[in-house]
Amino acid sequence: MASVAVVPRTARARTIRRHVFIYLGLMPFLVIAVFPIFWMAITAIKQDADLYLVDAVPFWFRQAPTWKNFDFLFHNTSYGDWIVNTMAISFWVSVITILTAVPAGYALARLRLPGAENLGIGIFMTYLVPAIILFIPLARVVSMLNLQDSWWALVVVYPTFTIPFCTWLLMGFFKTVPFEIEEAAMVDGCGQLGALLRVVLPVSWPGLITAIIFSFTLSMQDFLYSLAFVSISEEKPVPLGVATELIRGDIYFWGSLMAGALLVGVPVAIVYNLFLDKFISGITGAAIK
Amino acid sequence: MTEVSPGGPSPPGSFSVAVGQSVRTLPWWRTPTARRYLFGYTLLAPAVLYVGLLVGLPFVFSLYLAMSDASVSSPVARFVGIDNFMSALENATFYTALRNTVVFTVGAGILKGLLGTSLAFLLLQPFKGRKVVRALIVIPFTLPIAVSVLGWKWMFDSQFSVINWALSRLGLIGSYGSPDWPVWLGQPGLALLSVMFVNVWRGFPFSAIVLLAGLTSVPPEVLDAAKVDGASFMQRFRKVIVPMIAPILFVGSAFDTVFTLSDLSIVYLLTNGGPDGATEILPTLAYNTGIRGGALGRGAAISLFLFPLLLPAIILLLRTLRRRQY
Repeated sequence: MASVAVVPRTARARTIRRHVFIYLGLMPFLVIAVFPIFWMAITAIKQDADLYLVDAVPFWFRQAPTWKNFDFLFHNTSYGDWIVNTMAISFWVSVITILTAVPAGYALARLRLPGAENLGIGIFMTYLVPAIILFIPLARVVSMLNLQDSWWALVVVYPTFTIPFCTWLLMGFFKTVPFEIEEAAMVDGCGQLGALLRVVLPVSWPGLITAIIFSFTLSMQDFLYSLAFVSISEEKPVPLGVATELIRGDIYFWGSLMAGALLVGVPVAIVYNLFLDKFISGITGAAIK
Repeated sequence: MTEVSPGGPSPPGSFSVAVGQSVRTLPWWRTPTARRYLFGYTLLAPAVLYVGLLVGLPFVFSLYLAMSDASVSSPVARFVGIDNFMSALENATFYTALRNTVVFTVGAGILKGLLGTSLAFLLLQPFKGRKVVRALIVIPFTLPIAVSVLGWKWMFDSQFSVINWALSRLGLIGSYGSPDWPVWLGQPGLALLSVMFVNVWRGFPFSAIVLLAGLTSVPPEVLDAAKVDGASFMQRFRKVIVPMIAPILFVGSAFDTVFTLSDLSIVYLLTNGGPDGATEILPTLAYNTGIRGGALGRGAAISLFLFPLLLPAIILLLRTLRRRQY
């Protein structure tokens, strides 16, 4: 059994070689995915002059890093308003989404309604009607409601994609809650509504939180609707404000642009990242079992 | 389940009589089933109404707008039939936009498929730090699109592009001002490539993760069984893995097509269709005609030309969703 002594070493060598191959294969993907973020971050804290030193290596600082781009955002633009608007929009969109999608998802998953399956698919299909087809008629709706140039226009419009998505997501979720707990509640004298409110919802909080998270992240991913419906500076959400107010004619405030973009972009990306698997299984739920 | 009487066990005979009576005497709308339906449709109503009023109706309304001369300034619209569609078809820019839309969607779609598949197979391997790598690689997809496009705009800057700096240092291009210095967003061919590249950058993690979910859903026992039966790797790949992941691949690319076709922010923020229409796509043309130019009717007509392009993806998704087992 001379090989006994050899086996661990070759196995180890093979593991190492495998890892090297995998890391080499992943390296280009990683660089392409992450470099832009690094570049934005370093631009955000560089001094202006440092951005335009073409002779030196640009990947690090030649002049001391600075927070002045962030100062500029908060003192010379409406960035503070944009953050408040973004949070307020996302909050109200979540409220509308939860109040409509939770009962709908529950009804579709639990109450054995005739046509529930087709209705569920029908609601989800509206998620696929793209904003680019709807934004012109919705511009009319927004002006009929007298909401043009107010962020409330976006509170009305964003649920058109959060409700279909979250209804579908919650429908899948409610299917996994055991029927017995509702039956037990009804035996104990709860009505159907009582069983939903007092027994099913309390055990469904992971689903509800997921739905709220997606109402927030999907709202913050939008650009087209805000571009089409909001043009007053103080009413803009962050992505639109940064993209439109920090470019004046031919002058780009690159440092502040990157600072403003990342300040909201990074938290959204982190939260979305944590819930990405739920998003993927939400939209592909049909194909993966 | 609602029939359980609270009074405890009763003799079998009387129980069945009681049920029989209650069914006979209750009007149909008070039967447990009818009440469940009423409850259910009441719960459904808010979502259905919201989506119906703000997606369904606007969609129909866009058909009407497209056949009217509605504009932002004049609220009263006149019916003009298919004039808007005809005038779009007589416009050279429209054909450029249509061609660019197809090139953009198909080209970027193929690239995302290829990159996503290779990445998915890499991420399928067990290795140290897999979770961290995965979390980093999906960043492009999770960052709000307007945010990352601004980063790319800076990286494609005509003079201070970091890409050009690197290429120049590597000796692949000359210095700023030399004829081979690429102005990514300013030269027609390069501009289209650049906006496609940003779309691919944003979309390839999505393709990879969707595919990865599909691949991990292939139970290892199935592959082991095929191996025991003497199937080669290629046979296992073609006969077992591909059929099992094909539906999810379709769903993934259909979603991606919908996202890509309807997205205007990349082109709008990077080039706004320029230089000279080289990157004009239907969404930017519809936006610039309908909102900026104020011609709601013509804009609606242009955006409706996207619908036939979207339809195959939507039909594919509908068919896959219907196959869902309950």
